[in-house]
Amino acid sequence: MTDDERRALIEQVAGAWRPRGPHGELRNHPGWHDLDDDGRREAAALAAAMRRLEAALDPDGLSTTAKAVLARIRGPR
Amino acid sequence: MNDLDTLLPAIVAGDADAFGRFVAGAEARVRDSIASFAVSVDLEAVVQECMLRIWQGAARFVPDGRPHGLVRLAIRIARNLAVSETRRHRPELLPDAPLPEPAVEPQAPDPMLREVIARCRERLPGQPAAALQARLDGPWRADAELAEALGMRANTFLQNFTRARKLLARCLAEHGVDVATELA
Repeated sequence: MTDDERRALIEQVAGAWRPRGPHGELRNHPGWHDLDDDGRREAAALAAAMRRLEAALDPDGLSTTAKAVLARIRGPR
Repeated sequence: MNDLDTLLPAIVAGDADAFGRFVAGAEARVRDSIASFAVSVDLEAVVQECMLRIWQGAARFVPDGRPHGLVRLAIRIARNLAVSETRRHRPELLPDAPLPEPAVEPQAPDPMLREVIARCRERLPGQPAAALQARLDGPWRADAELAEALGMRANTFLQNFTRARKLLARCLAEHGVDVATELA
């Protein structure tokens, strides 16, 4: 994996999208499995920082994690 | 911020907006409480799964009289999920000692951060701003799908998103906001 590919993977994993399994259950991000330990730590730290910013950008204080969870409950709006 | 347990009756009644307020206040505490598992579990998946379980099980929650009971329950669920996944896939990484007592007080976005980041966002150029907006508007969609909707290739979308993040980080740093280190 090149450095650019690794950075792109971390960017993807730091997002809130997660796939669903056949019964609707949440699954890990496919790219998470391809990251080494340091990459996983970086992705987690980046995700935490991004969620804080997203919440600050949203009038209701909802991060993309919160929006993804709510979309699963009531469907995307 | 008040005790999020006050939202429980509305959540039990199926009020998704009330549940959104709960998630907004509890998410950072839940994420922090499992941060030490970042190598062995996908924390984002655990946080979302934990919140879905709270929504599904809220009616069975019995307060113990202490404040922030629902946040404490969410943290317990998240940690149990994290330990269980670690035991399955990376047992050598299971913690030797009990996990530290987590902070449970709900968190709301800092009003100053809100103001600064809104100003920083206005300064973003078109394509990076569009990539950021797409993720904010549709986090239930994969990046490839968001990229297609914007007429970008997946790699271009990610490059634009990264650029947006770095520009925000630079702007926030200029205003002395401490979250900028992780974003840069």
